[in-house]
Amino acid sequence: MNAFVTRRRARLVAGFAPQAAAAATRPGGLDIAEIRHFPVREPVSGNRYSLLRVKTRTGLTGWGECRFDPTADFKALETAWIGRPANAYATIAPSTPFRAALDIALLDILGKAANAPVYRVLGGPTRSKVRAYSSPHTEAFPVAVIDVPAPVSRNQGKAYQNKVLELVNAVPAERDFVLAGNGLLTPGDAASVAATVETKHPLWFDEPCSHSNIDAVRKISGETVVPLGFGAGIDDPGVFQALLREGLIDVVRPDIGIFGISGTKRVAALAEPYYVAVAPRTSGGPLGTAAAIQLAASVPNFFIQHVPIPAAEQDRAMRREIVSSAIEAGNGGFLQLPKAPGLGITVNEAALEKYHAA
Amino acid sequence: MRRRNFLALGSAGIAMAGATKRPALETDWCGCELQTPAGGRGMRAQTGPVGLEAFADVSSGLKITGMKVFGVSFNPNSDRPYVFVKLETNRGIIGWGEGTLEGKAGAVMACINDFKDFLIGADPMQVEHIWQSMYIHSFYRAGPVIGSAISGIDQALWDIRGKALNMPVYKLLGGPFDPRGVRGYYHVDGATHDQLVQIRATAHEQGITCVKSGIPGYYEWIERRPKIDRAIKAMQMLRETLGPDIDIAIDFHAKTSPSVASVIVKEVEPLNLLFIEEPCPPENVQAMAKIARRSTTPIATGERLIASYGVREILEMGVVDILQTDINHVGGISGLWKVAATANVSSISMAPHACEGPIGGLATIHVDAAMPNFVVQEICGLVKPTATDKIWEEWFGFPAMRMVDGRFPLAEKPGLGFELSEASLAKYPFGGTHPMARVFHEDGSVAEW
Repeated sequence: MNAFVTRRRARLVAGFAPQAAAAATRPGGLDIAEIRHFPVREPVSGNRYSLLRVKTRTGLTGWGECRFDPTADFKALETAWIGRPANAYATIAPSTPFRAALDIALLDILGKAANAPVYRVLGGPTRSKVRAYSSPHTEAFPVAVIDVPAPVSRNQGKAYQNKVLELVNAVPAERDFVLAGNGLLTPGDAASVAATVETKHPLWFDEPCSHSNIDAVRKISGETVVPLGFGAGIDDPGVFQALLREGLIDVVRPDIGIFGISGTKRVAALAEPYYVAVAPRTSGGPLGTAAAIQLAASVPNFFIQHVPIPAAEQDRAMRREIVSSAIEAGNGGFLQLPKAPGLGITVNEAALEKYHAA
Repeated sequence: MRRRNFLALGSAGIAMAGATKRPALETDWCGCELQTPAGGRGMRAQTGPVGLEAFADVSSGLKITGMKVFGVSFNPNSDRPYVFVKLETNRGIIGWGEGTLEGKAGAVMACINDFKDFLIGADPMQVEHIWQSMYIHSFYRAGPVIGSAISGIDQALWDIRGKALNMPVYKLLGGPFDPRGVRGYYHVDGATHDQLVQIRATAHEQGITCVKSGIPGYYEWIERRPKIDRAIKAMQMLRETLGPDIDIAIDFHAKTSPSVASVIVKEVEPLNLLFIEEPCPPENVQAMAKIARRSTTPIATGERLIASYGVREILEMGVVDILQTDINHVGGISGLWKVAATANVSSISMAPHACEGPIGGLATIHVDAAMPNFVVQEICGLVKPTATDKIWEEWFGFPAMRMVDGRFPLAEKPGLGFELSEASLAKYPFGGTHPMARVFHEDGSVAEW
């Protein structure tokens, strides 16, 4: 380093010293003071999910949700994040326990600090309402989900294809449907089922086979033009990239309970230059749905959101009870955007205790 | 790291000799120093025409003496005012070119003016050399704005060289392959059965052998059943009503994703379409390959691609059957000819796009006539002439871009083969830049048009 550069650097360091010193010692208002975990369980379905409550020093509260994982190390989460700034959602390491819930909670806080819904913090809204579906379909969510019948054997042939076709034909022509393979089929069965329903124009064939068997996906994608959706269990964006790169996926379905809002947004961004739509998964509670709505209004290539509305009325009542607003109430196949800051919901802590997944 | 050492570059030294008195300093490798208030001490931007000193001994004697840029709006809200360039020379030869770019008229006009320094005083016969300088010395290469500006200038340069050599441009390019002209198609403006029956009758009368229509509506990247059904039915009706003896092309206009296009394209295979156009947007060649590998229907694309560089990947991958680069964007006559030559090596055919004004239209016919791999030429006209056709006829004194027996006739006059007066353009003053149609889906999200 020559003398000129040394002198210049010294001058710069001196110039910025007061600012740097102030930043290092001043505790930020958004520093995280407390994190609490509320595991809850739906009484009839038994479906469990984890809620996180994150509080800042200044008393802002953010809520998040992720998939329930009994092995998740809550202490490690506290060690990593107590005292860190709640605005730094992009710095959450992929290995962080409860990472999706933390991401959602931090964005909830950021929205509240900015007095704006999360979708506005993230550059939206990109749409004014959020297309959604549920299974079984309802008046509010008219898109049908057809689960392929459980195969009685492997490589079942024509009789099985006809059985699927019968189910598809039972759906009126003006009603859209998703064909859900649930990863149950062999590659041959999946490809022949796809070919059978090709001209029925399903929205897409969900999980026709396991995504990890990429040769099978190649076979199905090569033999038919039915759009294919994958996402179940994928926790590494690289898997989506591998599928996108080869043109083997038509709907990317990252799980909000795994990726959170910002992680899902990154997967949506990854899919964008491939002209591929995103239809995020969420298998948890109403907070997951609230996060999904914010995400949908923050990305351009969103297509539809699945809302995991449970079959039993008791479970549905529980979902309405733990979150204040009617966030999951659909209308004409769409969910509405909340206008309140952050996620736009309030959480009923007493109800969380009531449904605690002990 | 130093990217360039100007001291070591002999030819660059000659090129810059007129502008700089001392050799460039090594430190100024990115030109940043030109940004300082003092104007920098190293490399200087060259001013003046392209390569004048080096070519002094081999000059044609022709010199560009003036350049005018015209914005021509048929109505004050037009999203595509024609952008015309007129080059004047020291011997009175005039060249016309077109660089119309939908929704970006002001930008292209400004960009053409940015190239003025390259042109005034230059030898217009050096079209290839001037083209290279405009493209290479634009540093960022050409996107649609620079591409369209170069296109307009290039056409005008070809017009001048044709006139100077007393030959129509297609002859300079070694054509024609077919003295009767080049096959063309009009757009179909009807959707109902009765309208289509009428179009069919008129087409037969006029000897028109090919038409193009678009798919209805706007599409998300995954699409609902009713929309897909409607698109397929619309295409089936076209074939049923127009009959088997008119070739039909369908423009998807990049409204569909590869996922949605694949579904539709496979199902319309029995219709034996001439081609389907832009089944998905142009940025991702692999994505278009996904459609191509699952369909036997020929696929055409390219109207948004610039220069032969812009089509290389799509050609190499063998994704499409037909390229449709547009003479008003691809780089003019020079750009379109090179794309055709490159495509021909891969047995890929040409059906150039034309949806702008008449100068580009007339220019593209010259290149078409000299392409071994030419299929059909577009014009955004209708089977029945419109008010636009009337204005064009007033301008040129002949029915520009109207077919005879299904072909655009070839010019007999030298250059691009027409005269055009500034006065005739003055009736349609520039109405400013207006964006192309902006469309949105039911939920308010942005849709492809």
